[in-house]
Amino acid sequence: MMYEFKVSDIAEEFGVHRNTIRNWINAGTLPAQEGPGRKYLMKFEDYQILCEKFGREPLIRPDSSVDLKTVSFLEAEKRVGPVLELGKKVKTLYDDTQWADECLTCGTCSSACPISGVDGLDPRKIVRMAFLGLEDDLIASDWAWKCTMCAKCEDVCPANIQIVQLMRRIRSRRERDKVPGPIHKGVMTCLERGNNIGIPKDDFLHLVEELGEELAEESCPGFVTPVDIHGARIMVTVNSREPFAEPDDLKWWWKIFHAAGESWTLTSENWEGVNWGLFSGDDEAMRTVVGRIVDNMRRLNCEMLLLPECGHAYFATRFGLNRWYPEALKEFKICTIFDLLLEYLNAGRIKVDNTIHTKRTVYHDPCNYGRKSMRAFGQAYYEEGRAITRACCPDLVDMEPNRGANYCCGAGGGAWAMPFADERVYYGRMKARQVSESEAKLVIASCHNCRDQLKKSLNQEYNLGVEVKYLWELVADSLVLPKNEINWTVG
Amino acid sequence: MLETKKVGSVMIVGGGVTGIQAALDLADAGYFVYLIEKSGAIGGAMAQLDKTFPTNDCSMCIIAPKLVECGRHLNIRILTLSTVAGISGSAGNFKITVKERPRYVDVDKCIACGLCAEKCPKKVSDEYNAGTGRRKAVFLKYPQAVPLKYQIDPEACLQLKKPGSCGLCEKVCDAGAINFADTEKAHAFSVGALVLAPGFEPFNPEAAGIWGFGKFPNVITSLQLERYLSATGPTDGHLARPSDGKPVRKIAFLQCVGSRDENKCGKGYCSSICCMAAIKEASMVKEHMPGLSASIFYMDMRTHGKGFDKYYEQAKSELGVRFVRCRVHGVEPHGKNGDLRLRYINEQGRQVEEYYDMVVLSVGIETPKHMLDMADLVGIQMTANNFAAASDFSPVTTSKEGIFTCGAFAGPKDIPQSVVEGSAAAAAVAQFLAPARGKLTRGKAYPEERDVSMEAPRIGVFVCHCGSNIAGVVDVVAVEKHAATLPFVVHVERNIFACSEDTQQTLISRIKEKGLNRIVVAACTPRTHEYLFRGTLKAAGLNEYMVEIANIRNHNSWVHAENQQVATTKACDLVRMAVAKITSSVPLAAVTVPIVPKGLVIGGGLAGMTAALSLAEQGFEVHLVEKTDKLGGNSLNLKHTYSGEHVPMKVAKLIDRILLNEKVILHKESVVSGVEGFVGNFKTTLKNVNGRSRTIEHGVGIVATGGKIYSPDEYGYKTIRRVVTSIEFDKLHDLKETHVKRGKSFVFIQCVGSREKERMYCSKVCCTHSVQSAIELKREDSSRNVYILYRDMRTYGERESLYKKARQMGVVFINYELHGKPKVTANGKSIDVELWDHVLHRPLLIKADMVILAAAIVANKDAENLAKLYNIPLEENGFFQEAHVKLRPVDFMTDGMFMAGLAHYPKPVDESVAQALAASARAATLLSRKEVTLDAVKAIVDPAFCDGCALCIDVCPYQAITLVEKDAVTADGQAVKIVAINEAQCKGCGLCQGTCPKRGVYVAGFTLDQLRDQVRAALQA
Repeated sequence: MMYEFKVSDIAEEFGVHRNTIRNWINAGTLPAQEGPGRKYLMKFEDYQILCEKFGREPLIRPDSSVDLKTVSFLEAEKRVGPVLELGKKVKTLYDDTQWADECLTCGTCSSACPISGVDGLDPRKIVRMAFLGLEDDLIASDWAWKCTMCAKCEDVCPANIQIVQLMRRIRSRRERDKVPGPIHKGVMTCLERGNNIGIPKDDFLHLVEELGEELAEESCPGFVTPVDIHGARIMVTVNSREPFAEPDDLKWWWKIFHAAGESWTLTSENWEGVNWGLFSGDDEAMRTVVGRIVDNMRRLNCEMLLLPECGHAYFATRFGLNRWYPEALKEFKICTIFDLLLEYLNAGRIKVDNTIHTKRTVYHDPCNYGRKSMRAFGQAYYEEGRAITRACCPDLVDMEPNRGANYCCGAGGGAWAMPFADERVYYGRMKARQVSESEAKLVIASCHNCRDQLKKSLNQEYNLGVEVKYLWELVADSLVLPKNEINWTVG
Repeated sequence: MLETKKVGSVMIVGGGVTGIQAALDLADAGYFVYLIEKSGAIGGAMAQLDKTFPTNDCSMCIIAPKLVECGRHLNIRILTLSTVAGISGSAGNFKITVKERPRYVDVDKCIACGLCAEKCPKKVSDEYNAGTGRRKAVFLKYPQAVPLKYQIDPEACLQLKKPGSCGLCEKVCDAGAINFADTEKAHAFSVGALVLAPGFEPFNPEAAGIWGFGKFPNVITSLQLERYLSATGPTDGHLARPSDGKPVRKIAFLQCVGSRDENKCGKGYCSSICCMAAIKEASMVKEHMPGLSASIFYMDMRTHGKGFDKYYEQAKSELGVRFVRCRVHGVEPHGKNGDLRLRYINEQGRQVEEYYDMVVLSVGIETPKHMLDMADLVGIQMTANNFAAASDFSPVTTSKEGIFTCGAFAGPKDIPQSVVEGSAAAAAVAQFLAPARGKLTRGKAYPEERDVSMEAPRIGVFVCHCGSNIAGVVDVVAVEKHAATLPFVVHVERNIFACSEDTQQTLISRIKEKGLNRIVVAACTPRTHEYLFRGTLKAAGLNEYMVEIANIRNHNSWVHAENQQVATTKACDLVRMAVAKITSSVPLAAVTVPIVPKGLVIGGGLAGMTAALSLAEQGFEVHLVEKTDKLGGNSLNLKHTYSGEHVPMKVAKLIDRILLNEKVILHKESVVSGVEGFVGNFKTTLKNVNGRSRTIEHGVGIVATGGKIYSPDEYGYKTIRRVVTSIEFDKLHDLKETHVKRGKSFVFIQCVGSREKERMYCSKVCCTHSVQSAIELKREDSSRNVYILYRDMRTYGERESLYKKARQMGVVFINYELHGKPKVTANGKSIDVELWDHVLHRPLLIKADMVILAAAIVANKDAENLAKLYNIPLEENGFFQEAHVKLRPVDFMTDGMFMAGLAHYPKPVDESVAQALAASARAATLLSRKEVTLDAVKAIVDPAFCDGCALCIDVCPYQAITLVEKDAVTADGQAVKIVAINEAQCKGCGLCQGTCPKRGVYVAGFTLDQLRDQVRAALQA
């Protein structure tokens, strides 16, 4: 039996954009052929599989000529799993009853998760399976990897079930060579060669030096990239993807430091801020990477540590410092991009021009700086990012929901790097709708992952037609640079 | 030690329905009451509700008579705007200081004309309307407020904040009642006991953020919805969206907002009332707006009270309310026009997105800070959930002697349970203050009755709007005009609420001014309101039977809402009939009979013993009848109460106290075999096991005959050996039976025999019981697998902590639906239990060592016999039917008879005890009087027509008629016979009148002439 559909109809049905459906057709996720009259044809079974994948009830339109009896038969057949005998399994995944046992099975988590129902993923079901000891199934499944660990589920759970920790634990139990995508490989490379991509020290030093020279020429006369400066106030880590793929992106921060007359430094080795052990569930690797940062801080005797990359880098590092290096936190402070940028603005160390970005702007709350920080550290950054954005963009609005209740961009938890693009894009439909409902033309993100998903994926997939900037990119672009003023000495 | 001399007065803190009930019971039982209310008028939360479950009675209509009664009571002094400021002395003789905030309105001068509020320029959010509407700075709390006096809000008043800036109200008040110089007053009272009934506050969902309350105007709380639906609310009872006034077509209710949520709300307990409130509200809005769709998103439907499950089923199957088992994480705006978006997971595990016009948050209840401070001040202990701590065996007694508590302050509960506790607290106080009974009370004095026998009828007709209940359907002006045209009618007026305190005052003055001698009230049902108007007539010096009620609401506006013209015509008909009937009414003289100051309690279980002991400790002699040779009843099967108290020890103590109390006369192995008499003068015949009979005279009776466990036919109970009921399991467990002791896998199946077609009610205790057993099994051996298969977990109120504990211990809870009941089959040494997992959506198999069935509690068969003997009704499930489920939960319609315990409905220990105490308090209000005045509506024999045919004797349901010989003899020398009526036994039902072929007997107030006039009037149209 063939099922006939229009791209626009099925896009509306699935809550995604027509582009996404076309991409699915091109990629084979949706095996359909072009039919007459701008319609497509697919096997009804394939349509059912698609519905099953995205957790939806098949929609039988009057004109889709489908025999209902056959349909229900297929459905019932497919959904019944084998009989599960209880009381046989031994639980090894967790021992804190707050991870699963105390679950009320109320469904709040599932109702909150943007991709529950997709490929059978459902946080409530995962918690239930962990509780009933179905650990092998959980470890073998890709659910934990499609989850972005955004903690929306956990944030609303009335029983305080530690769903994110459970997800991470499930990830950690996956055989390492079966970890999807480059996550585990990145961790290994980082452990062996100091950064996720394995950029050699000389290449890195050469690159940052050159970039510094470019910056001095372009806008910051006298700028020299500071590396391994003893006694600098701030030590700054680097996201290896930037020197590797988008080196110019490094300059925004440098420009800001220059304008603020900051005393700061990069390090020549172990400069990686990314910490993928958080994503792969590898505590040892996470600890090692954080330990290297601690070593660098001690070696260079800096006062403050700044991780300007991803929200996860900050989260993982602060988490690791609290857990494994509490004594180090007495020696130095870890500061967020928000703390620092606000400090500059409030102290008048930088000045921004609010006439450059006049179009309507919306600020996206990254999970790691928001509700996850709140839960882990008792402190969330909601207002700071808005204050900084507002200083540059007078027409700032909010998404709904926002702050602690905000939706994840869809690429968190390593999803940006994972081979589950369909799910990631589908997940992002919530974010895309939030952005388009805000009617903003400029979206500000303060995390690499969020920015990449918004700028490089959702913007095209959902035809959002927005500009996406990093928070620091916005600040750098709005900077009022002193003309003919003294050259700031660095270090 | 010197015994403190006990003072015969009581202070009750809180003027809600609970405090009011306690106040009335105590004042009627011989204690002077100070009723302390924090706001400007009594009534509490119930006065804010639109309708009440499960009867859909208008909340204001049923509480208003109680408010009026409280306001009028000679032995109740109401202090509004008052709080307790200090306490000293000791139990029996406390010195309590009360701080009374200034009202700025002189209550003696204020006539509640409302001119002040009309002129007041300052508007603020109205607390009574839960923030949905606005009031003035000078305001009346609500139209039926008692006392009906205005007050000035000093926070809002311009003049008080800046003298000289306004003062308009003062200028317009002709009565000169405004007093800006009013100051705070301090009072000191000596009281024997203190009752804390301050109630609760609804949870404020704004801080949690996720539900959009306070941000999206169309997200409202359940209390706000009540106000929107109420005729006295901000929209006069019309439901429109706050944002744009658009009619609501699609509405969602989100359950457990502020309850069972330790994360966003910091509250683990269940608020107990919200499930039923949501069902009621959903049903009401569907009624208000035909075609509206209502969905309730829930986790467990907790409809565990009497009549609740039936109400739930009706809402589902008859009214089409949609129930979705999923809690919703948050509310989002959909577009810009105020629509709201919800996402949830359906029962197939698929995500669904829906759009609504309005979302109602079913907010829970909590104890606010100021009440905690008060608890602290008076020095009582609170539970971890901030409710007053009490033992399950003395649920209204706080940790401090002489201080009692009741209502929602002592744990989340609904209105019936609060009323029960109000009465229970009265009993507990009366027990404690027994020696001081009657020391400080005054008697009621009415003006002398005006002789109207020589006057021509002068009828006054009062047409009630009942807010919009009547006026929203019936053209009341037309009714008023019609009434004015009727013969003998000399005065007609309309009232917004005929039952309010101010209307009673109006009635009295109209009777005096206009010389009225007959009154017709066109309003609601005489069942609830007749006695109120009778009292008003008495206060005006008229015979109380000179009032007739035309029920133009229940019989008319409620049932003909769709056809306003017909309703108006019918209202006119009803008024005309009432006028016709009252025209030929004559004053009736009430019958007074002395009261035998003794009680009879039937049933020697926990409830019966508690009631008996309570009456005895209040100083009354009590006969306690027990069918078996043992006291204790069903409580002998129980081990622990929900809060962990040891039942056998407590029951043993209670039995000791019963045996030691001289005032309790115990009749074991005895049953009731015959009953004669009536309130105040019952004669009950007991028959013991040896066949010996004994007749006991008593003034009141309390039925506490208990219930029994259902014997299941399902789940292989009668065929598989290790399938047992929960009570059987407890015994096996106690005996350390080997299968229990060595068992590794236990399955509890809930709702066995409950909540099904044949018994559509919840047995209330089984969820908690199974959870407790499961905890015990896990505590003994944590490696055991324990499963509880449930339909809805109903560990209501603070019992929720047990549910959490069981989950913490690893007990597996699996939800099943009625259409997918577990299958139990014997399989060698073990028992196979098969069912479907509600989360995994796949079949499960449990190999159980033992299956425990949480079998229903069913009514005792004996109840039928008692029902006949005392003429007290049973409901469809065989439990006794109370006079009113909401406000008279322990009374029978038959005066002098009360009930308690499982005979009324399944319930746990604490509630049985509270109900027993309540029955005792209600009984004591009669026993503490010398005599009882009976209704004068009685059958009267007309000797001119009665020929002694005796047809009426057979039909009389009250055995009030006997055949007697006249002095005369017939021509053939036979004695002439005639019937005689026992006035005290006669209920005036009229069956005799209808049966008599010769006009030999009639009912006073319903004479054939009156009925004829009424019928003629009906046909006049």
